[in-house]
Formats: sequence, C-alpha cells, structure tokens
Amino acid sequence: MIWELIAAFFGTIAFSVIFHVPKKFYPYCGLIGAVGWAVYYLLREPAGVVMGTLGATIVIVFISRIFAVRKECPVTIFLISGIFSLVPGAGVYWTAYYLVVNETSMAGVKGMETLKVALAIVLGIVLVFELPQKIFHIGTKDQ
Amino acid sequence: MKNQEKEILDVAFLAGNILLESGAEIFRVEETVERIARAYGIEEYHSFVLTNGIFATYANAQGEIFAKVKNIPVSNARLNKVAAVNQLSREIERHKYPVEEVKKRLIAIRQMEGKKKLTQIIASGLGAGCFCYLFGGTFGDAFSAFLTGMVLYCYVLYVSCYQSKIIANMSGAALVAVVSILLFQMFPQLHLSNVIIGAIMPLLPGVTFTNGIRDIADGDYLSGTVRLLDALLVAVCIAAGVGAVIIAYHNWLGGIML
Repeated sequence: MIWELIAAFFGTIAFSVIFHVPKKFYPYCGLIGAVGWAVYYLLREPAGVVMGTLGATIVIVFISRIFAVRKECPVTIFLISGIFSLVPGAGVYWTAYYLVVNETSMAGVKGMETLKVALAIVLGIVLVFELPQKIFHIGTKDQ
Repeated sequence: MKNQEKEILDVAFLAGNILLESGAEIFRVEETVERIARAYGIEEYHSFVLTNGIFATYANAQGEIFAKVKNIPVSNARLNKVAAVNQLSREIERHKYPVEEVKKRLIAIRQMEGKKKLTQIIASGLGAGCFCYLFGGTFGDAFSAFLTGMVLYCYVLYVSCYQSKIIANMSGAALVAVVSILLFQMFPQLHLSNVIIGAIMPLLPGVTFTNGIRDIADGDYLSGTVRLLDALLVAVCIAAGVGAVIIAYHNWLGGIML
C-alpha cells in the first residue's frame, strides 16, 4: 500500500509535468493523485471497480476545488492531473486485447466495464461541480 | 469605433485565445473574456466559444457593432498558460492596468516556455513506470514501462507531432507495443500486458476527456460532445495500434501470448 501511494504521488506529478503545470503546484497535484488512489484502493475490494472510481473521483474533484480556491488558480490544474490515474487505460488495453485474440465475450465484458468506469468519472465530476462555490470559500479570507 | 475600445476587445479576445488553445474549459474562456471587457467598462460584450473557435461581438453606446471570429486549432495542454491568464484576469479586476500593459503581458504569456523536452521525456517515463506499478506490475515491469514511456515520448515530441492525430496515436501505441515485446523477448519474466498498460498512459486523452465532461456539466453540450468524441477517437486509435502489433506478434511471429 505504501509503495502504491508513493507511485501514485510521483506518477501524478509526472503527468502534471507533461501538462506544463507550474512547479509550485506539483506537491498539491501529487497529494490529490495519492489520496484519489487510496480511496480507489480501499473501495475497490468491497464495492467494485466502478464504485471505487466514483468514490475516488468525488474525493479528487472535491480536494481540487478546495485547492483551487485556496491557491487562487483554475481548478483544471489539479483536476486534470489528479483524475489521470483513474482514466481507464487498462480497460482500453484489455478490450483491444480480447478483441484481437477473438475472445469476443471477454472483450464485451471489459468494454462495458471501461464504459462504466468512464461514466463513473463523468458522474463524480458532475456531482461535485454542482456544489455551490460558497462551500469552498469557508475559512478563507473571502468568507 | 474608437481606437481604445478596439484595443480592449483585442486584448480580451487574445486572453480567450490563449486559454482555449492551452486546454481551458469553454466556460472559463467565455467568463474571462467577458470579465476583462467588463473591467474596462464594456458591458455589451458577448462571446460564443466552441472547442476550436471564438465568436465575439460588441456594441458600443452609439450602437455600432464590432465582431470578431477566429478559428483556434486544438493543441496540447499548457496549464501554465491557463494559470497565468487566470492570474492576470484577477489582477486586472483589482487594479486596472493600462490596456497596453495587459496586451504586453498576454503576449509574454503566449510565448511562455514549457518544460524542456528532456524533462517531458523523463516525466513520461516516470508516469508510465508509476502507473504500471499501480496497475499491478512488478518493479521489473515498472522499469520496463519507464524505458518504454521514454521511448514513446521521444517519438511523440520529435516525430508524431507532424502527423495527423489518428496516425500519431496509432503509431505511438504500436511503438509502445513493439518496444514492450522486444523487452519481453529479452526478459521473459516480464508481464507484457502490464508494461504496455503503463507505457500507453502518456497517450491517453485524459485532458480532453475531463474537459469534455466539464463542458457538458456547464451546459456547453456542443463543445463537450466534440471533446468526448475526440477522446473516444484517441482511445480507439490507441487500441487499434496496440491490437495490430499484438495480432502480428501472435499470428506471424508465433509469439506466446502473455
């Protein structure tokens, strides 16, 4: 678990470098990635991959919005880097893999799962962005 | 139309232009453009933003109408520019800079350097390695994904940036599969699937996907649909690129699957 958190932290920072995030935001991006992965990891066993992704997305978007208000910068910066670990790259791979080895039913299963994970990310992002902006100003000087 | 008014419109438009091409959401582009115009006392400013273009009109007190339309091709995410424009638009609201100075600063933001190519290549490898480990790879797999991810990004930065999006993603994914298979041939204890899954991470359309969802959540259905379609297309291309190499490896070279 501890190694996975470290990997999620540095993996997320690596992708924020590729997206040209300013240097001072690296630790925040890494933290969001690690927390998101921890939530996903804890929910995956009892609740399944889809619910794990939904939970992790909700947490990631929530923290991203908090950081965006505190640091006075666009939420995109934290959100894109943080959400990257949840984008179902493995799902895309396995779907393609089972298709080319002619295991169509497995390809269907993996394809549906990939779609569900994508929809979970959609739902998570939409849900948290419906929360009014005021909530995120609590405790800051704007309040 | 007075020169001053035209200057303000140009500046607001330029800010929107930079935001859109650097990977900001539609909502942010519209809001920033209108906010800058309003900060200089222009109320009748309307903009309509799509993923690849901005349409803006402005009517002054005499009823003269000024319009500007620009096609803005989609390029890679440059979040440092998004942050910088956002910072500037906040500062404009607080203390009104002269328009000329804002223009100068916007032009400077536009020319802002990104990360060095070497840094990006290492970051790509690191990201690939870390995510390979997260998706269940061993340390050996993660190291192979690290190497493959670096090879991939050299290709992305020096070769595939001149290709169309479809070909760039298919060939990039195919390259990942080829390099992974070569490593697998040299070190059979590797888990081929894990290496490939980790190493294709830098190609995945995470930015487009996330922005598409956010556009739809904001009610910008047209732009959101275009972006999600774009993300889907990229995912299919990656799958096709990897799939083609696996078929070739399996059928013609008699490779052992997994």
